[in-house]
Amino acid sequence: MSTLNIGGSQIDTSWFLLLSAVLFILGTTGVLVRRNPLVILISIELMMNAANLALVAFSRQLQNMDGQLFALMSMTVAAAEAVVGLAILVDIFRTRDAEDVDDLSELRG
Amino acid sequence: MTNQTLALLILLFPVAGAILLAGRGWRLPRIFTVIIGPGVVWASFVCVLALFSGKAHGDFTYWSWIKSGSLDVPFNLLIDNLSIFMCLVITGVGGLIVTYSVGYMEREDDPSYARFFVYMDIFIFSMLLLVLAGNFIFLIVGWAMVGLSSYLLIGFWYQRHSAVVAARKAFVMNVIGDVGMILGTLVLFVNLHAITYAGVFKAVPHTDNGNLELAACLLLVGAVAKSAQLPLHTWLPDAMEGPTPVSALIHAATMVTAGVYLVGRMYPIYDVAVYAHGAVAIIGAVTALFAATIAIVQTDIKRVLAYSTMSQIGYMFLAVGIGAYAAGFFHLLSHAFFKALLFMAAGNVIHAMHDEQDMRKYGGLWGQMRPTSISFLVGSLSLVGVIPFVGFFSKEQVLGLAFSKPNDSLALIVWIIGAATALITGFYTGRMWWMSFWGKPSPQRPVEHPHAPGLVMMVPVGILAVLATVGGLLQTRAFGSFGPSLVNDFLAPAVGPLRWEGDWSEVVIGLSTMVLATALFLAAMRIRPWTAYVPWAQRLLERKYYFDEIYDAAFVRPMDAVAGFALRGIEEPVIDAAVVDTGLLARAGAASLSLTQSGYFRNYVLVFVGGAVVAAVILLLRASS
Repeated sequence: MSTLNIGGSQIDTSWFLLLSAVLFILGTTGVLVRRNPLVILISIELMMNAANLALVAFSRQLQNMDGQLFALMSMTVAAAEAVVGLAILVDIFRTRDAEDVDDLSELRG
Repeated sequence: MTNQTLALLILLFPVAGAILLAGRGWRLPRIFTVIIGPGVVWASFVCVLALFSGKAHGDFTYWSWIKSGSLDVPFNLLIDNLSIFMCLVITGVGGLIVTYSVGYMEREDDPSYARFFVYMDIFIFSMLLLVLAGNFIFLIVGWAMVGLSSYLLIGFWYQRHSAVVAARKAFVMNVIGDVGMILGTLVLFVNLHAITYAGVFKAVPHTDNGNLELAACLLLVGAVAKSAQLPLHTWLPDAMEGPTPVSALIHAATMVTAGVYLVGRMYPIYDVAVYAHGAVAIIGAVTALFAATIAIVQTDIKRVLAYSTMSQIGYMFLAVGIGAYAAGFFHLLSHAFFKALLFMAAGNVIHAMHDEQDMRKYGGLWGQMRPTSISFLVGSLSLVGVIPFVGFFSKEQVLGLAFSKPNDSLALIVWIIGAATALITGFYTGRMWWMSFWGKPSPQRPVEHPHAPGLVMMVPVGILAVLATVGGLLQTRAFGSFGPSLVNDFLAPAVGPLRWEGDWSEVVIGLSTMVLATALFLAAMRIRPWTAYVPWAQRLLERKYYFDEIYDAAFVRPMDAVAGFALRGIEEPVIDAAVVDTGLLARAGAASLSLTQSGYFRNYVLVFVGGAVVAAVILLLRASS
């Protein structure tokens, strides 16, 4: 089992992956169970950051910068995505007082 | 200006008039329509006169229309004495009639008024193209466009159902003829490898007779349809649904004579194709007699004139069919004079009678519409063939040449039919004249005191009446070889000189035919038609020998039945059903799939996450194995 040298102390990589998995599951659960659109958006950010953490951890372990670059890229996309998502949300709030995504279900078959 | 430019200008004036009126003219004050509509026809007339006085002739090629392999279609106009002769009739008589329409159509509302002149100018253009074309392709173009403009003008009052039906009938009949023309042209092109008149006629002597006969017969189909000869004649009487100037211009003076022009123009072919040539004479003679008998019982004044037109064109076919081309064209000219005169005088009456066309409801017009009555009488006497009117000289020349053609029993047969027709013509013309203008006013007459026609209507009628009176002086050959024969001499370079000479017996026969016909004209004042005593014959004639019924049973109904079967047996259960069922299937599928679209965000996420989990599990399993 490989370790990572973080600030002089040796920490096993699996901890990072575990943390990443926990964050990811938290995010997923948030998306699934919460109804406030803003919170859902935050949960999605959480999921993304979990993925970023895994990427960075592997990158450090394999001494390969690709993972870090990928994480940077992903953060950019996340920023853009947050912009679009928030804009949509603002627009929805402007026309209607929707605090619950279940109220936004007009597009059902 | 060169002759080449003048020839093109003849065509350009009417088409420019039509475009002007159709595009802008109808929004301008009515006076523009009144000037442009007839004006362009007169402008063409002036060009034709210039060519005529300059003794122009030539085959002018303007540009190449289609060039592909051995097919080379130039746009060329053939100016010779025949086409100038035809152009003089078309633009001269046409100009008078279009001028007359200015008065006749005055009750039309504004856009329709201009529309009428647009159609008239298009017609004049098409007819001029037909006679000026120097090759078969443009002949067909003109031929078809003439049919189209006839369709538009018959259906001019498109609010009337009967007019629309009549227009459609005319169009269908004409298209049958067009198909004949096109097939004939193809036969000529395939065998003679030429498409211009000059090329075709040069190749004729080296061509197999059978092919020429076939081509001549196919061209004859076109001629028969356009000229309303048996058996494609049924459209002409119905075409009387159109405004009266249209009947005068298209269905009397010009378009229906296109068949005669065609046979005359193709005389090198018909001289060789003797069977087709004989068929022309027989069709003409039979149609002449057939139409004249129907005219005896008609009560609608325009229908009498329509049947008499068929009958007179039968004479022209008879003449060109026995090889007396110039005589046929002289009759064409004289017919254009007196039949346009009759139609326009009848138009004056119809105009004054508020569109009533039933002669039984006229009567006594002699005292009230004197100038019109005199004009109509001039036309009638010309139609009957009384000295000194133009009809005498032209008709007796046709019959005389048929009578005196040496060693030809066919010519003798058609002469007998033609002479009998001349007598019937005297009778039905007399019936029409006495019934409409003589006697006491009918109690059913719609107008007690008919108004006199306006100057713009009366002047063209007067001019034609004068022409119908003195036009015979152009050619008085009916008196034997005595007197001028201007038309024959003029046309000789184009259709060949007269091939045989008559003698004194021809004159005797001609004069006695005239005397008998005149006697019948006078007798028609007193006696009722013999058909009134023979009810079945009366019925037979009133039903026009049941031609419409026969065509209905032979063609229209079977076609309707086939179409009905195709609709109910193929269209609805097979083609329609396939389309409809595809739609139903898609709709059912969409209905069941749309259940998955709950509209709840979390459902979508759940499915998405579930999918991701499944994908991850599969990847894990594959990695571990």
